[in-house]
Amino acid sequence: MKGTELVLKALIDNGVKFIFGYTGGAIMPIFDEMEKQDALTFIMSRHEQGAVFMAQGISRASLSTSDPRTGVCMATSGPGAMNLVTGIADANMDSVPVLAITGQVPTGVIATDAFQESDVVGVMMPLTKQTYMPLSVDEIETTIHEAMYVASSGRGGPVVVDIPKDVQLQETESVCEFDARSCEPQLPGFFYRPSVDLDSLKQAVGLINRSERPIILCGHGVISSNTGPQLQAFAERANIPVAFTLHGLSALPVDHRMSLGMVGMHGTVEANRALMNADLIISLGMRFDDRVTGNLKDFAREAAVIHVEIDPSEIDKNVKSSVALNTDVAQALNLLHRDPALVSKPRTRWFAQIDAFRLEIADQIQKEIDTGIGREGQLLVKTITSRLSRLTQGKDIIVGDVGQHQMILARFYNFQTVNSWFTSGGAGTMGCALPMSIGVKLARPNERVWSVSGDGGFQMNIQELGTIMEHDIDVKILLMNNGYLGMVRQWQTLFYDGRYAGTPMKNPDYGAIAGAYGIPYLKVSDLDQVDDAIQTAADHKGPFMLEFICDPSEIILPMVPAGGGYKEMIVSID
Amino acid sequence: MTTTALMKRRAILVFMLDRPGVLNKIAMLIRRKMYNVETLTVCKTNQPGTSRMTITLREDSDEKMRQVIKQIEKSTEVISARELDMNESFWREVAIVKFEADEDRMEVLKRTYQFEILDRQNHELFIVQVTGTSLSIDEFLQDVGADRIVEVARSGFTAMEK
Ligand SMILES: Cc1ncc(C[n+]2csc(CCOP(=O)(O)OP(=O)(O)O)c2C)c(N)n1
Ligand SMILES: [Mg+2]
Repeated sequence: MKGTELVLKALIDNGVKFIFGYTGGAIMPIFDEMEKQDALTFIMSRHEQGAVFMAQGISRASLSTSDPRTGVCMATSGPGAMNLVTGIADANMDSVPVLAITGQVPTGVIATDAFQESDVVGVMMPLTKQTYMPLSVDEIETTIHEAMYVASSGRGGPVVVDIPKDVQLQETESVCEFDARSCEPQLPGFFYRPSVDLDSLKQAVGLINRSERPIILCGHGVISSNTGPQLQAFAERANIPVAFTLHGLSALPVDHRMSLGMVGMHGTVEANRALMNADLIISLGMRFDDRVTGNLKDFAREAAVIHVEIDPSEIDKNVKSSVALNTDVAQALNLLHRDPALVSKPRTRWFAQIDAFRLEIADQIQKEIDTGIGREGQLLVKTITSRLSRLTQGKDIIVGDVGQHQMILARFYNFQTVNSWFTSGGAGTMGCALPMSIGVKLARPNERVWSVSGDGGFQMNIQELGTIMEHDIDVKILLMNNGYLGMVRQWQTLFYDGRYAGTPMKNPDYGAIAGAYGIPYLKVSDLDQVDDAIQTAADHKGPFMLEFICDPSEIILPMVPAGGGYKEMIVSID
Repeated sequence: MTTTALMKRRAILVFMLDRPGVLNKIAMLIRRKMYNVETLTVCKTNQPGTSRMTITLREDSDEKMRQVIKQIEKSTEVISARELDMNESFWREVAIVKFEADEDRMEVLKRTYQFEILDRQNHELFIVQVTGTSLSIDEFLQDVGADRIVEVARSGFTAMEK
């Protein structure tokens, strides 16, 4: 068989259904081969960055289904591969498995600065779990199998396979017999063998039993190990409140009585104050990002920390743990939950304290949402989000871009479905939402998907409207148009004396743009049109776009200033 | 001049698959995490396809050492990484030194140190090979004197546990 056939065979053997990508000289042979088969569906993005985010959408959304998959994207050498970099770096920060296959110039001219040659392995290495360059056709299949295994095992992440054009065209007699379920590549020392140290477990249970003021921090690992319902059961049994990191959201219903909502820079008052006052932090599948901890010097100085984390290098990296369980969250929760020594304490005082935190700015927020209109007379994203949440009963899938609207979604959408919230967290890559929602919809075709962006981020991958049009991808696009790079504007309001440098922007006629792509569109500037517009989009079969004219003065609070500690949390401004 | 005390010298022994790019990866990790690496040596082992790497660095904090090792272990190619117990292992280094010395000085050095003369030019310019612990090499170099030394090439450490 030819190298190109082996690439596709290896992908099909791994259960791949969709390939997102963009062609060019060095990858043409693989694309040509794709044209001859029909087991794989090819979806052309309009920019390579779009292709990575679509692949991410597949991986992120399929995690919780019976058929979890690693998304695959393809690009040509040089500029094609370089256009993947941002999306790959993003997947790396968010531990999302992705396989990127890039064409490379032929081995004979590598390192001669050949046309469209870039050092893909060199560039990608620090941004991936692994990068490969097979130098002979006989390495292709084993490399792709190993790549898929590495991407999805343990803590997920992106893997790049850079295949020189001449290697794609070589022929070989030897073909792999492959079974994805039993495949374990030859990587001694790499295999992740979760095992819980029973002494540590006992210590953890002891800490929990003694704690008067415990808090659970639910991280991305709870979603990745698909263990939200178990967490809910554990929190109920042990009587411990749960706060969520940005990527931990939607692990369990966010209005559950044990839930405190999101924690961190834009977390809820109750989550942040509870974290500050806790005597025990049980952190599940998270890495104590600075957006969660604030200034480390002031972080939880009086609390013991139980850190459950699959990646050993995250343990004791930012926050010193009292007890570490280096395992996957599902296993740890299972053991903790079943432990006969675990007691359920009433912790009445702690919950009373938390109830007081909950009330601290509840009225102020409710008033703002009810008013629905900001200081400049335009719509508030908080109000639109709570209407969306109510009309969908919190059951739909939300893909958020990056900015104020993202933090507002994280705070005010009432997530009810496990694994229904997707966004770029660790990297905070503007423009992620539109392409990611395409992958999400393809992975979960029976659920409604809302892709929500600001006017800044929307224009960063606006070209993917073409992909949506071509494949009639049924995503509902919500554009929160406030005429500004809102999140940066908020910092300027709070910390730069209101000098709006580089944040206002003149926007195009989005209706004309939607029209040009054949996507039905409504513009909403009145509060009493909001519900109808959302309902119309929801009921429409096929893609639909809503543009909301939003108030630039809207601020998302609370906010812990960057570099500050929780003590400096801003809860209101006049 | 600041006289910050040097931190403890410590060593990590890594076994890894002999694949292209591994050395690059470790080097990049060292740069990115800003570890104080002093020497790094790589060689093949008697297991085909496996290399060993000895890294020495300056670090007082056990905490930080554990982080370095965990970061190294994260590479897919790495089979194992651990700290070497300095007191329980042999440490050797080779230095090739070009220096000036007259007949008498050379006699004194020969009596004090073990080394092999590789070359001698114009009677007064020597190239010698010194093998031993890095301490003994340090002492040798100090004894020869910085103003007499023309060039030094040191191999970096290699080590083995007892
Ligand atoms: C690619 C990229 N460039 C710059 C930033 C910095 N940044 C973070 S949020 C933001 C503003 C986003 O504006 P918009 O998309 O309009 O959303 P809004 O905050 O107004 O809701 C910017 C510029 C980023 N996160 N990503
Ligand atoms: Mg905006």
